[in-house]
Amino acid sequence: MANDKTPIVAALAAATCALLGSSLPDPVQAQEEPKWDFNTALLYYGEDNDRVQDLSLNILARRNFVDDRFLTAGLTVDALTGASPNGALPQSVAQTFTQPSGGRTYTISPEEIPTDDTFRDSRVAVNVNWQQPLGRLYQLNVGASASAEYDYVHTGLNARISRDFNQKNTTLSAGLALARDTLDPVGGVPLALTPMRLADRGDDDDDEGGGGMSANGWSSKESKDVLDVVFGLTQVVSRNFLFQANYSFSDASGYLNDPYKILSVVDGVTGDAVPLVPDPVFDGPSHLYLYEHRPDERVKHSLYLQGKYNMAGKVLDLSYRYMSDDWEIDSHTLEARYRWPVGRSSYLEPHLRYYTQTEASFYTPSIVDGAPLPGYASADYRLGNFDAFTVGLKYGWTTNSGNDASVRLELYQQLGDIPSQQLIGNQLGRDNYPDLNAIILQFGYRFGL
Amino acid sequence: MSATRGRHVEVTQASGYWVGRFAAMASPCEVLCEAPNRAQALALTKIAAAEAWRIEDRFSRYRAGNVIDRINTAAGAAVSVDAETAQLIDFSRTLYELSHGKFDVTSGVLRRVWVFDGSDNIPDAAAVQSVMPYVGWQRVSWQSPTLQMPAGMQIDLGGIGKEYAVDRAAELLRQASDLSCLVNLGGDLVVTRQPRFRDCWSVGIESTAAQVSLPASLLKLKVGALATSGDARRYLLKGKRRYSHILDPKTGWPVPNAPRSVTVAADTCTQAGMLSTLAMLEGDAAEAFLAAQGVQYWCDRGSEFVLDV
Repeated sequence: MANDKTPIVAALAAATCALLGSSLPDPVQAQEEPKWDFNTALLYYGEDNDRVQDLSLNILARRNFVDDRFLTAGLTVDALTGASPNGALPQSVAQTFTQPSGGRTYTISPEEIPTDDTFRDSRVAVNVNWQQPLGRLYQLNVGASASAEYDYVHTGLNARISRDFNQKNTTLSAGLALARDTLDPVGGVPLALTPMRLADRGDDDDDEGGGGMSANGWSSKESKDVLDVVFGLTQVVSRNFLFQANYSFSDASGYLNDPYKILSVVDGVTGDAVPLVPDPVFDGPSHLYLYEHRPDERVKHSLYLQGKYNMAGKVLDLSYRYMSDDWEIDSHTLEARYRWPVGRSSYLEPHLRYYTQTEASFYTPSIVDGAPLPGYASADYRLGNFDAFTVGLKYGWTTNSGNDASVRLELYQQLGDIPSQQLIGNQLGRDNYPDLNAIILQFGYRFGL
Repeated sequence: MSATRGRHVEVTQASGYWVGRFAAMASPCEVLCEAPNRAQALALTKIAAAEAWRIEDRFSRYRAGNVIDRINTAAGAAVSVDAETAQLIDFSRTLYELSHGKFDVTSGVLRRVWVFDGSDNIPDAAAVQSVMPYVGWQRVSWQSPTLQMPAGMQIDLGGIGKEYAVDRAAELLRQASDLSCLVNLGGDLVVTRQPRFRDCWSVGIESTAAQVSLPASLLKLKVGALATSGDARRYLLKGKRRYSHILDPKTGWPVPNAPRSVTVAADTCTQAGMLSTLAMLEGDAAEAFLAAQGVQYWCDRGSEFVLDV
């Protein structure tokens, strides 16, 4: 078939013009809806005083299928650097500690809160979820997650089922998640409440001599299992008000210590750390420090309440969480966000958060020399009494290409409080709790393909 | 007249817009509009429905007494037509020329031997040959406004009528209102203006491969037209061969390897409809034809959409 390949669009437009007897309307603007929706974020988290810095890239991809079925896949890559408090108390003299690897020591100046600056890690986390309706009223969501860092591997499975009632104004849901985490600390898993090891240059530990405290009796790997159960209620109260309530139960069992955290052993009168006689062969800690010990089970209950009010496009989001566990930590979190449209395609969203927790029953700033060893003890600042405040502002806008972009800046402050009856002698005059200031800067970009 | 039974419109509220529904040209039709209230939505739907029904009555070859009926029953006599009919006939002559004879309004008589009902009733070559003398625009004498053709020939503007009706209705809605309306006559549609309260109107394109859980393709249409030519339900199947309902007027046989459906986006529904029809007539070369036109199109060949922009 002989066929002239000359485009006919121009001739067709002219003929259409003649037929319709009018000038042609505006040019067509059509675009295929993307099948994949990508939500990406680059986040910087930085603590002051050279403590933890984290650069995190997060990509969440969602693929829509017919009949309200979705596949989501997420990838997070973190690069962490900086120092982290090791649990020891500040002293009027310099303190020397063995690095977790057992290879070297590091020294902290007088009056400074000891931090271990060998903390450097990268982390990769992935998750996949599948969501689909089951019949007209049920939704099923199943997923798997995994993450890996140099000393930690997480694997998890989760499932959630929800049912709509009351013309979809009420949704009840129940979820279950199981996780198995494996810990492979640098230098091995320390024996709880034993003295900090000497720095034996990381050699294998079949040597006699001063390396006695090294890896003998230490295991190389530990694990923990976590079970989470969640029951939720979502209620559309009115066109402008959405309410949500969740109860969750969590049971973690296995190795729950932080293998890098220690406690200072102190004199019962002065409160000063007990100095050690230097080892003739190996470098080692300047004072007596014990590795921490936590119970091997932790059961948490929490209740979460959230309300969202839409006031003519301005959305107020208020939430409260109460958590209580059998380590006797109780926490309260109050959070508020207010989304305030600016112009046609952008918004400002201030964010306020207040968090407070009580200390764990076995939290103690130090262990008294000569007194019987407690069953469990930790000086990890995250298990102490503290309050935390977050103030943030997010600006979001729609780009010319129709994608969503946002930038978020937040300031975080954590202020701890060690009860004075837990402090001894000279400790009372010192700043023992490692207060924390951090900045969070996040860029978000959402696009379709 | 039986075809005018059930001519009513109904309006319902959807989230953020109104939907008016009616039936015309044997298809379900709708008008979506960003009207502030039911009364306005109803008024706009009535404008579109009235225009669709007017065009159906005037140009359907199934209506006794209309201009098409007069032409088709003239038995060789010259027929003088009104200005609107003349414009449509002018347009179809242009299409005949632009398509090198593949688009031909006289090809309707082929349906006496070709009945596309999903069966395997393929007519024999002799039957096809018997109607071929009545097919071919070159046999028609057209000197606007007078048309004369040999007895036994017929013209059918069905290949243009629906798209024309969509554009006409859209123009009337543009004149009547500043609101954004989407006029949809059986899948051929126009968005009259950019919506104000939403980013765009979302339009689904059906995949014929329904047994596969392909994602429904959704198009975001701000303004402009979409038209689809397809044979999702109209075909013959003999052995493993599928005969599309797109007939080549030069051979009297279905165009081989025509896509199952072609959707085209254009400024007007008439342009979109003609491009999708001509693409189907190109068979194997449908995608190449559409690519050469520089338009957005979605070509379904049964297994997968071939998307090109």
